[in-house]
Amino acid sequence: MTIQVLAWQALSGLSVGMVLFLIAAGLSIIFGALNVLNLAHGSIYMVGAFICYSLTSTFAHLAGVFWWTLILAPIATALLGGLIEIVLLRRIYAQEMLYQYILTFGLILILGELCKLVWGVGYNTVAVPWPLTGSVSIMALPFPAYNLFLIGCGIAVFVGLWAFMRYTGLGQIIRAVTHNREMVNALGINVPRVYTGVFMLGCWLAGLAGTLMPPMSVVALGADMEVIIGCFVIVVIGGLGSLPGAFIGSVILGLLTAFGIFVAPRLAVAFGFILMIIILLVRPWGLMGKPE
Amino acid sequence: MKEFLKADGKRRRLWFGAPVVFVLLPIFIGEGWLSLFTEMMILALAACALNLMLGYAGMVSFGPAGLYAVGAYATAIFLKKAGLPFVLAMAAGPVAAGIVGAVVGWLCVRRTAVYFALLTLAFAQIIWTIVFEWYGFTGGDNGIVGIPVPAFLMSITHYYYFTLVLVVTALTLLWRIGNSPFGKILQAIRENPGRTEFVGIHVRRYQLYAFILSSAFLGLAGSLFCAFSRSVFPGYAHWIKSTDMLVVCLLGGIHNFAGPIVGSVVYLYVSKLISSYTMYWMLFLGIIVVLLVLYMRGGIMGYLSEKFLSERGELQEKGAGEKA
Amino acid sequence: MRSNGRKILCMVSGALLVFALLTTFAYADKEAILVGHVHSMSGAMSMYGISCATGGEIAIEEINAAGGVLGRPLKQITRDDMLSPEVGLREAKDLVINKKVHFLTGTISSAVGQAISQYAKEAKVLFIINISQSSRTTEELGHRYVFRIDTNAVPYFGYGPALALAEKWADKKVISLGFDYEMGHNGLRMFKEKYFELVPDAKIIDALWPPLGTTDFTPYITKMLVSGADCFFLSCVYGGGELAFTKQAWSFGLYDKMHAVQPCAGDVETWSKVKKGEPYPKGALATCRYPFWAIEDPRNKKFAEEHHKRVGFWPSYGGMNQYFIIYALKDAIEKAGTVETEKIIDVLKGMELNTFVGKVRIRECDNQAMMPTWYGIMDFTPDLPFPHITEVKALVGESAYHSCAQIKELRGK
Repeated sequence: MTIQVLAWQALSGLSVGMVLFLIAAGLSIIFGALNVLNLAHGSIYMVGAFICYSLTSTFAHLAGVFWWTLILAPIATALLGGLIEIVLLRRIYAQEMLYQYILTFGLILILGELCKLVWGVGYNTVAVPWPLTGSVSIMALPFPAYNLFLIGCGIAVFVGLWAFMRYTGLGQIIRAVTHNREMVNALGINVPRVYTGVFMLGCWLAGLAGTLMPPMSVVALGADMEVIIGCFVIVVIGGLGSLPGAFIGSVILGLLTAFGIFVAPRLAVAFGFILMIIILLVRPWGLMGKPE
Repeated sequence: MKEFLKADGKRRRLWFGAPVVFVLLPIFIGEGWLSLFTEMMILALAACALNLMLGYAGMVSFGPAGLYAVGAYATAIFLKKAGLPFVLAMAAGPVAAGIVGAVVGWLCVRRTAVYFALLTLAFAQIIWTIVFEWYGFTGGDNGIVGIPVPAFLMSITHYYYFTLVLVVTALTLLWRIGNSPFGKILQAIRENPGRTEFVGIHVRRYQLYAFILSSAFLGLAGSLFCAFSRSVFPGYAHWIKSTDMLVVCLLGGIHNFAGPIVGSVVYLYVSKLISSYTMYWMLFLGIIVVLLVLYMRGGIMGYLSEKFLSERGELQEKGAGEKA
Repeated sequence: MRSNGRKILCMVSGALLVFALLTTFAYADKEAILVGHVHSMSGAMSMYGISCATGGEIAIEEINAAGGVLGRPLKQITRDDMLSPEVGLREAKDLVINKKVHFLTGTISSAVGQAISQYAKEAKVLFIINISQSSRTTEELGHRYVFRIDTNAVPYFGYGPALALAEKWADKKVISLGFDYEMGHNGLRMFKEKYFELVPDAKIIDALWPPLGTTDFTPYITKMLVSGADCFFLSCVYGGGELAFTKQAWSFGLYDKMHAVQPCAGDVETWSKVKKGEPYPKGALATCRYPFWAIEDPRNKKFAEEHHKRVGFWPSYGGMNQYFIIYALKDAIEKAGTVETEKIIDVLKGMELNTFVGKVRIRECDNQAMMPTWYGIMDFTPDLPFPHITEVKALVGESAYHSCAQIKELRGK
């Protein structure tokens, strides 16, 4: 295992980790502010991926179509999220976790089938956008430029979100709602609207991930189930409700997978769950969360 | 027995009626439906086992399928690989599930609410991973097929009776447990764990007992299904199967002993009906689930109880008024 | 908890519900010969289920238009197994017991296939597999009542690629990557079995096992790049995962660095939307179960076009298989003069099918039809918009399958 290989494996693990971060960040923020475990978050991601495919293939003749899609698709998923929050989620905030879990499970089924109805059952691809089609030589390995772009995106979104949460008024309101809903309400702020906004933000992030992933992967049914459990693991490790936690959790999971395949290939898939259990038993609020 | 003797004539007829119906059922319905009905009974047992934690103790588990699979696999391995006698292998299911439940439960009850739920999910996924990967022992993703059961149980009708006896016994046991002082304590813990602790009840210990009992009955359901289909697969432990069980409980109503029973019958029947009409059955199932959570949180039994109660209430008032 | 009156109420309701079921199930059609078909009709694999059902329907309509079989029409009843062995088994039982089908066909999932196969053995019903590739179902777990008119994992995932590689490049240092499930491990095992026989000094220098269903292969690809192998071999990596792998491998230039043996690349279903200029398994040796563009027989063209007309995509090999299965049943019933299972089985064993891919014999020892497998080099050609195998060669006959002696040994274990 040379430095070279180490670097390549780390970069590989990080490029996917960053996309997972985007989904997990949304999941975490939603849980932090709304106290809802959104099982359907992976489905929103999948819808984003399908929208990305639709836009890029329908308008393939337009230059820079991918970049337009990168702007539009997350907005579409954010709007979808807003619809879901207003029509469905709002009614169950007061309910127990079990009902929320089952409701979002129902959403997984509905969204998955709607994707099938609209886009069919085949496999779809999205091309890597210009100018990222080439590769960057990293220690004599031609590393795909797009993967590096993904890492950059993940970091940029993290920094941007963190700054938003920390320094803007809206961000402060969101953090306040996470801590004490009643107080924020008493201060005259329209909490339901904040909730909708937060959920839309989470779905925007999922849609962003859904747009960024296809050029290096495939757009197909089943993507929702594939990512959701990994995101749960990340969010638990990082801390439910913590943005830096989601970032660290994604990095850990990405690296764990990339290096796990050297150590114990067949059991690598269980590492995440074992870590999740350890965290839940030892420090349930996660690495970066706050104890209740 | 006491209840039966205390009951008035009308109730006595109902008490008599139900068992007779079930015993004579094979005469009226063909083996195809009998097979489905056997499946419903097994699912009802699993759901009621889950409901001991869910409805009585208020402990939401996301991973019941893990324990169900432990039971199924234990029986499968003992029958196929160790060649144990059938009765022993069937007993091994609930015992193995109870032991695993004890270990997993001991760790899980250290946390509550969402953390408890996530722990159960993680453990169930670990069980799934072990079953899926350990090809030498569990057959991996191939599962185990061709599990030998005694010849007389291979017939659908015979297996129906076998399941009927075991499931009714198990459900009666669960009913007694639920109505016993132990069951009352679980409900107290559900309502207000703090106050219950204050009264001197060691909450965590009772939660662990509930977990173990629930696991054992789940394991029994798993064993029954193993012998029914003569095959086991890793999917039995998957979180999607766990969610199916949760939906069944919710559908029937978690605050009613009979809820999960009704839920399993309706769930299996409706999903079979829908899937025979459309390949988009998952869409309809999703819609039903969403409507259930929004409008019928008490499940079918919750809804029926309300109606029945209000009618009764009206009648009584009417009677009182007339008398006066 | 509420009183037990509700419990009685519900138990009785449950019983009444069941009685209601009595009146709702349709009686079996006494005239028609019924073929039950259990497949994945929803979810990610539904393309195959739809293709198989369509292939069967096309054959049935042709046969019925010509007068049916022994004067009776054929009818296919399709059910969704939801990729779950429990559901598949339930549907198979319902088809046999309630709908009174004469024969069962189906499945893509090996688990469902094995569950149904076992039931077929107990209930003494003929079950013919149209897609599931696991060789176990007809080898170790094979029995009188399960047939397969379809290739299986041995030629498609193992022997075929081994024969092709030995013939083409005979690389000595091979690195393998496969989905971590039994089929994946078995695929490599069988590849090694045949390849080491033909190229004795070859080595598998490393074996990588990503979890089943994953779509991120970058850590594995980087490992492959530093491995020093001349060739990589993919074991049972198909569908969406394969597309993702190819994209990622392409972006790392893997196809230029070493030879590629990518069996599933020949499957048109996966590649039908990939256009020239997009990542594809360039120059890879691939096996293909149904290269419909390369088969001369006019019946093939007619079938493929009819399939495309009905469902909007080209037939998968499953569609072709189900088409052959229906015709095989027709021939067997006519030869035996009856639909009785035992007689049909006796006729099917050793029967030669006259298909548009040539004459295919159903071998007696494992009830496996000796379906051909094709292989070639993946490339684009002007006549088709998607990448496909070129320099197509056919692997015909028993040499591509396990021999009866090998199967006997496997069953003995």
